[in-house]
Amino acid sequence: MPPLTFNIIRQSTQRTAARRGTLVMTQAATATANTNNSTIAVTTSATTSSTNANGNAHEHNHVADNKEPIKRVIETPGCFMHTVKGTVPHLTPDTMRLQGFGGVHVSIEQLLQDHQPGGFDKWPFTLSKFLNLQDMILLCDLRDPSRYVKVPVNSDRYVAIKTHKGVRQLTLEEYLKIIRAYQPDIVAAMADQITDADASAPGTGRGSVSDGEAEAEVQGSPSSRPGLNRVKRSVDRSLRWLDQILLDRQGMDAFVADRAAEEAKRRKMKKTSSTQSHDSTQGVDTLTQETQKLDLVTRNTTKVAPRIPWPGVSMFAHVLGSHVEQERIRSAQETARREAVDGFIVDTNPLQGSSKETILNLLKVSLDHLPAEKPRMVYGLQAPEDVLKSIALGADLFDTSYPFHLTADGKASLYSFGSNNNFNNSITNINNSPTPGEATTNRWINLWDDEHANKFVPLLEGCGCYACKGGRHTRAYINHLLKAHEMLATVLLMSHNMYQYSKFFANVRQSIQDGTFEQYSASFVEQFGSEPERTGEIHAAQAIVEAALSKRSRLDGSNSNSASTGRSSRNGDSNSDCEGEQGAMSKEEKAEARRKLKEQERFERRERNRMEGLKRKKEKQQTIANIRELEETPEP
Amino acid sequence: MKSALKWDVIAKCGTTKARAAVLTLPHGPVNAPVFMPVGTQGTLKGITPEQIEGLGCQIMLNNTYHLGLRPGQELLDTCGGAHVFQGWNRNLLTDSGGFQMVSLLKLAEITEKGVQFESPHDGSLMLLTPEHSMSLQNSIGADIMMQLDDVVSSLTTGPRVEEAMWRSIRWLDRCIKAHKKPESQNLFAIIQGGLDPAMRKQCIEEMVKRDTPGYAIGGLSGGEEKDKFWRVVSQCTDLMPREKPIYCMGVGYAEDLVVCVALGVDMFDCVFPTRTARFGNALTATGTLSLRQAKYKDDFRPIEEGCDCIACKSYTRAYLYTIVTKETVGCHLISIHNTAYQLRLMRQVRESIIEDRFPQFIHKFFKDLFVEKSAYPEWAVNALKSVNVDLIQGEEQP
Repeated sequence: MPPLTFNIIRQSTQRTAARRGTLVMTQAATATANTNNSTIAVTTSATTSSTNANGNAHEHNHVADNKEPIKRVIETPGCFMHTVKGTVPHLTPDTMRLQGFGGVHVSIEQLLQDHQPGGFDKWPFTLSKFLNLQDMILLCDLRDPSRYVKVPVNSDRYVAIKTHKGVRQLTLEEYLKIIRAYQPDIVAAMADQITDADASAPGTGRGSVSDGEAEAEVQGSPSSRPGLNRVKRSVDRSLRWLDQILLDRQGMDAFVADRAAEEAKRRKMKKTSSTQSHDSTQGVDTLTQETQKLDLVTRNTTKVAPRIPWPGVSMFAHVLGSHVEQERIRSAQETARREAVDGFIVDTNPLQGSSKETILNLLKVSLDHLPAEKPRMVYGLQAPEDVLKSIALGADLFDTSYPFHLTADGKASLYSFGSNNNFNNSITNINNSPTPGEATTNRWINLWDDEHANKFVPLLEGCGCYACKGGRHTRAYINHLLKAHEMLATVLLMSHNMYQYSKFFANVRQSIQDGTFEQYSASFVEQFGSEPERTGEIHAAQAIVEAALSKRSRLDGSNSNSASTGRSSRNGDSNSDCEGEQGAMSKEEKAEARRKLKEQERFERRERNRMEGLKRKKEKQQTIANIRELEETPEP
Repeated sequence: MKSALKWDVIAKCGTTKARAAVLTLPHGPVNAPVFMPVGTQGTLKGITPEQIEGLGCQIMLNNTYHLGLRPGQELLDTCGGAHVFQGWNRNLLTDSGGFQMVSLLKLAEITEKGVQFESPHDGSLMLLTPEHSMSLQNSIGADIMMQLDDVVSSLTTGPRVEEAMWRSIRWLDRCIKAHKKPESQNLFAIIQGGLDPAMRKQCIEEMVKRDTPGYAIGGLSGGEEKDKFWRVVSQCTDLMPREKPIYCMGVGYAEDLVVCVALGVDMFDCVFPTRTARFGNALTATGTLSLRQAKYKDDFRPIEEGCDCIACKSYTRAYLYTIVTKETVGCHLISIHNTAYQLRLMRQVRESIIEDRFPQFIHKFFKDLFVEKSAYPEWAVNALKSVNVDLIQGEEQP
């Protein structure tokens, strides 16, 4: 029995392709059991929710010593938790387990910053154990699903990855080495996602220009989109890599073809070089040729040496094709032909800049050509209404970047799906903040808003999340924490937003079960409108706090700013993520803060100079007085 | 004056001046000697109240000056005080804001009337008088409130120290007079007098006359010589009434805690464990680990073997290395560990006092932390010698 199974429990009876199911990971208890760590999970995950709302079972936790296979479950439609460097942002492991999610998504590119693949020889763990996530289903992919980062172009041999120390090139060999060391439950096959195309800046249609190949523009598409050849190559390359990865997983040599090609190339080069240098260096040349042959033989033997298969790792494959429908269809069909693939990922992040409608249409093209019986994960469509539309197209899995982004903005979720259990509360909050879109109810409130300073009520009345439960933490308190630049603010907001997102999915699953999904989806959009675009703007109140902080840190040295170390590094991270995305307002405010700082610096410098001048003047006067005194003293 | 606490000494060390006690406050019992973590602005650096409770913390600090600025008195009155505001149902102690005279000196001006601060947030002026401090602390509702004192840096010498000492006494009288809830909140006096034994003596004599529910030793931990520091502490605990809790303000390094307990102090506070956590420094019985260092990259041990905090139970040093100072969670985890470490240290100290093996504990503690006797700090050796524990000649008994 394969470790990963996907069961469809209910297919929507109505017009849409929505379905409810479970993703189940079965593994021998000995493989991951760690008594210590699973006890943590047991105590914290038991209390999740009153209803069956959060369906993600944790029944596997207790079985450290009995021989039952461990089962971990994600109910679908559902989510993998989005992580940064292997941790759910702001949430310590105990709080993280209160949110009701059964899966974690880990981006290899974030871990590569610190752990070079070369250092894996001493690696004693699976990634699950290293991150203490044995009770979750762990999915590993190269890229971070929460954002779209432009990186230099990939090649046949590697994908480009941005690190703190610049761009690095990750080869397939290195990728396989990482996967063998990490042994995640599910891995996304390395794919040539087109991250080199500048989708948001028109007129820079390129992509593989740097690859030195001719580009043919796709008919009728804006020039910012990658050319047809680039798209085709992305599909081909990814399929080739997928095949190699699948071979390697079986313990077979995945690089025979690569080496043959390399050898042919070398031979060709040798030929040309030897014809060029035939007269003088022939003797030396034959010698080097011999050595190289020998070298090749030894290299072949080492490479072909039996490799250990890694069948315990399930495989998700990226479905590509960019804006080109034909290529999307080809990618989907070709990928689906590979029986060993356990699930699919459609990353819509590189489509950013296109309209939602276009993106959803392209998603549909991919999903329509994938086998129904395997799970499909979608990146880049995370706002609740986008999730609903994606589910209607047959998507099963998402990630939690949405609550993560809300939290970063200081927002708390109010939206709810289904039989309106939160509806009345939301209505009462209608006057609390500006209404996004044409919604009749707020989907969230921004806790930076001054109006919350005296609201001694929970973020959402009746919410069972850590922050709201029992009315322990109020809007006023969180407003205070934000303004005091205290990290507990994001802890509480993240708890709430994650919990509500999880509840949203639980209600969606229930509605698919009950046959009300289509009806509730329509009323959701009616009630909550659609998510306004995230501009990267900083709330005015936040700008004031940050200006004051930089002033204070200047006043009493770097120490007082330490209060925000973690936080500001986080901010720094996201700033670099969306370069050029900073709104005009925040820019202005930043400029203002900079101007004030400069002014103050100038003032201080002036003061210093003045004081020094005074001191010098005084000294001078003193010297003059001394000299006079000397002069006036009659010599003996 | 009235008192809203109960102070029961349950064991006394047979060798040193250390004692174990239960301090019963309006929000529950506190086992002393106690280290009190500092949540200046109504929160302990990213740790949730539930997590703090889980660490066994029974009392936490807030700061009057900071809470007075934000959220402000009006909001505190509206919601019913700082306990409710921050969702913390155990004890709170509020510092009066006096210490900010030193830490924010550039922004403060001190007169007989009070201290005038410039708000670092918006530049507005705030006059903190003894009356205002009491009124704020009554609104906050802390179980223990500190008098407003005239704090001078412990490095200051000359007439300013004496002026501050006498002013602190005058301000104590004004605080007592202005205190509206002596039946539910305890006011502690703060002994001043710099490093001068005569002045300390005078100050204690005057303040003891005022009969406050507890006393604090103030004006230390400002970078003074450690050898002078311990002598002041020891002199104060000798002169202060033994039937009341003694609180040494701003002390938090592990060896300082152990020595001061031996000198007879019961309560401590310090921002150090949580502040240093934010720089990736984890405290252990064998010293501090700076987890930012690459040497922890492949170190697959927990921070401290046997520690039951969530950081040690969940993660290795290698993983923490990847997130400290980069992710807020890294901060939270090390803060939790360091707080757990401090509280555990005090629990061990307390147990050893109760079981009358505190001297042995001290020997082991110093051996674990400094390894070689030659590395023991001289001031600590001298201080402990003064209470009959000889770290160099004496031997750790099994």
